[in-house]
Amino acid sequence: MKPLTEGTLEAGSTLKRNRFWFKAYQQRYLYMMSLPFVIWIFIFSYVPIWGWITAFQNYKPKDSIFDQKWVGFDNFIELFQDERFYIVLRNTLAMSTMGLLVGFTVPVIFALLLNEMRGQFFKRSVQTISYLPHFVSWVVVAGLVYKMLSTDGGAVNQLLMWLNIIDQPIQFMAKGNLFWGIVTASDLWKEMGWSSIIFLAAMAGIDPELYEASTVDGAGRFRKMWHITLPGIRTTFMVLFILSIGHLISIGFEKQFLLGNPLVADYSEVFDLYALKYGIQMSRYSYGTAIGIVNSVVSILLVFIANGIYKRVTKETVI
Amino acid sequence: MKASQKKAASLLMIGTLLVAAGCSDRLESDRSSSPDESPEKAIAPMTITFASGDNNPLWDDMQSEVGKFITEKTGISIKAQFPGNNTDTDMFALMVASNEYPDMVSAKVSVGKLKDAGALIDLTPLIDAHAPNIKKLYGEYMKRLRWSNDDHGIYVLPTAPVNQTYFKAGSGFELQHAVLKELGYPQIKTVKDFEHALKTYYNKHKTTADGQPIIPLSLNGGEWQFLISVTNPAVAATGASDDGEFYIDPDTYEAKLHYLRPEEKEYFRWLNHMHDIGLLDPESFVQKVGQYRAKIASGRVLGLIDADWDFAGEVAALKKEGKIDQTYAHFPVTLNESFKRHDFQSTGYLAGIGISITKSAKDPVRVIQFLDYLASDEGQILINWGIEGKHYKVENGKRVIPEDISKMKVKDNWNFRKTTGVDMYRFGPSYGDGVKDPTGNYYTPVFPEQIEKEYTQADRETLAAYKVKSYKDLWPSEKQFPVKPWGSAWTINMETGSEANVIFQQCQAIVKKRITQAILSKPEQFDAIWDDFMKELEKAGVEKLNEAYTKLVKDRVKLWNE
Repeated sequence: MKPLTEGTLEAGSTLKRNRFWFKAYQQRYLYMMSLPFVIWIFIFSYVPIWGWITAFQNYKPKDSIFDQKWVGFDNFIELFQDERFYIVLRNTLAMSTMGLLVGFTVPVIFALLLNEMRGQFFKRSVQTISYLPHFVSWVVVAGLVYKMLSTDGGAVNQLLMWLNIIDQPIQFMAKGNLFWGIVTASDLWKEMGWSSIIFLAAMAGIDPELYEASTVDGAGRFRKMWHITLPGIRTTFMVLFILSIGHLISIGFEKQFLLGNPLVADYSEVFDLYALKYGIQMSRYSYGTAIGIVNSVVSILLVFIANGIYKRVTKETVI
Repeated sequence: MKASQKKAASLLMIGTLLVAAGCSDRLESDRSSSPDESPEKAIAPMTITFASGDNNPLWDDMQSEVGKFITEKTGISIKAQFPGNNTDTDMFALMVASNEYPDMVSAKVSVGKLKDAGALIDLTPLIDAHAPNIKKLYGEYMKRLRWSNDDHGIYVLPTAPVNQTYFKAGSGFELQHAVLKELGYPQIKTVKDFEHALKTYYNKHKTTADGQPIIPLSLNGGEWQFLISVTNPAVAATGASDDGEFYIDPDTYEAKLHYLRPEEKEYFRWLNHMHDIGLLDPESFVQKVGQYRAKIASGRVLGLIDADWDFAGEVAALKKEGKIDQTYAHFPVTLNESFKRHDFQSTGYLAGIGISITKSAKDPVRVIQFLDYLASDEGQILINWGIEGKHYKVENGKRVIPEDISKMKVKDNWNFRKTTGVDMYRFGPSYGDGVKDPTGNYYTPVFPEQIEKEYTQADRETLAAYKVKSYKDLWPSEKQFPVKPWGSAWTINMETGSEANVIFQQCQAIVKKRITQAILSKPEQFDAIWDDFMKELEKAGVEKLNEAYTKLVKDRVKLWNE
């Protein structure tokens, strides 16, 4: 720091630059090592953005990208005028918000409980069993859900009938207002164990001395969970949370596609499904691209809003 | 030491990247230099890649007996891909988006999309130079192969069998033989008769012999077969011919979405009534195809409204288990006595859907020669009958299927087709049932005598009771109706991505939702829902769609009949 303050402003800036290059030279191997990844990201994440110009064209795959007809904002206007777009947006946000809330609280609670377990063997087996469904394909899960909720000998209906809670089997899959719940619940079943792994790992990293100290201070189990374990995983939690807010709108369409049926169409259509049906399936690539752009813009907005709130509350930032 | 380690690591990393890039380059150049210039082209082994829009769960990349025989003869083996769990339209849309095609495609309704993308090659010169058998096969219908009034090229070799005589009735309404037997073979002509039969039987039997609950009527309405099992029957039962989602006025060629016909409202009202009185499976519109088929295979569904190919595997399973009374008889049921079913109205030769060669084909000449072989007399007999001496014999100049093979074909159709490969390779041009080859035999094993041989005992009893030789005899004969000059409208494709196409897609979504709602609603709400349905269609622009489609139909009439 010393030579910097002594020299004139001009000399200082050249020095600074020199220092930069010197440091860069010193760290050349680190730069070289990161280079492949920078190239990789550039090729796969930035080069494709070039395709966005098709959103302002009437793209036909036959001709090259320069011979296409330019249509300005027509595709966007059509998109914003389509009332289905708003239904789809509502469904997407509703299902992903529900998924986000349930999909974060339950795995944290599960990890907390598991963390309190004493027997290693039992703990490990529970953990393994709980994350196995993660590897089951959605096609199979959808089949299971349909079978379980069927009125024709489905387990859930039989249980409810046996408990005398209902006297007629409920047509779960035919009720639009239940659809979001069914999707959230099946997603939870599938992903709970898997998402809890990372929290368990974060909990394992907490300094045991903290627990010892609080034991000395007379803290009980719940106090320790509340004052040590939870704050200990806060950063992990927040990073994951904000990152998944970025994915809020791109929840994919597998589950909705596989679990949906015409009766619940107003609740099951999501963004990607809409893009597929009215974009790619009909060869309207430009329209599909326009949907993609809106999708990305909304995602970025959501992330910044979430991060802004977090910053305001905790004076820290993750991005 | 440490620096050199770092250096080594980073060099390794960069090296890996370069090698990866180099590898892909090499592959690229390998492929471009591959076209083999060997003089013995005709029998040199070659693999043709093929994307089929129709799933074929039996497909084995030509490992069956007939498949191996074909490979031996032509040197060609086929590697096929299918949509699997996706729809065929998705598969081809993705193909167009990625601009990568197999050598051959059977694109079904997506063919226009591929053509628009410039993926299909004009087959006219290839056919003229290399395919005498294909030319002979299509004969006078070659004109119908032309693409459009503006483009007379041939891009599709239609797979619809040429000069087909229909001996089998696979459509209509289906009832289990057990129901008919118990009720003493009542007259089944209208939906009321059908309903009555189901009701009477269901009142007496709530479970099957092995204790499972009986389902009186189930529809395959959860997936795309909605069209086959729910909406198409509305057209057929109200005396119109099958033109896909449209109704075409036979005199003016005016097209309209068929749901706009007032008669159909009454058909759906009847389904609503069936649901109301508890005869319709409440899961009809939520079940997946697998669930629907499992119900049929268990033998507890009394009645169906579906096409036989949609549950053929399950009927085969029932036969295999010996539950022949739980298999189905077909009836030409209509909404009331005033309607006649047009199932067998002749469409003339139905060009449109078929097989195409893409611009990616490395050797289109070999591909067309291969298809030409399959279209030759030898090839046709091979794919329809099998190998002589193995799957059929010639006795006194007549082809006959030996007893053991015939038994296997009826009782264990699935395995029969899988191991022999008979009937598996009909993706090219083919002669229809009832056409005779130069030896005086039929090209296909589907002709009255053979069909009668394959009937089960239950079929025979039922047919005898109704005093007919085949179910088809229950239908009005095709002779009663004129030939449709536009063929069938479901083979007319709209331009993809056009305004009409978008409206059509929207209307389809509305139809699925509203029809299902209407059927499952309380009878007193039916009219209100139907009115909403009509209003929504109007709002989506159904008028414009009708206009656009009318134009397409008129174009087709001109193209085929000038």
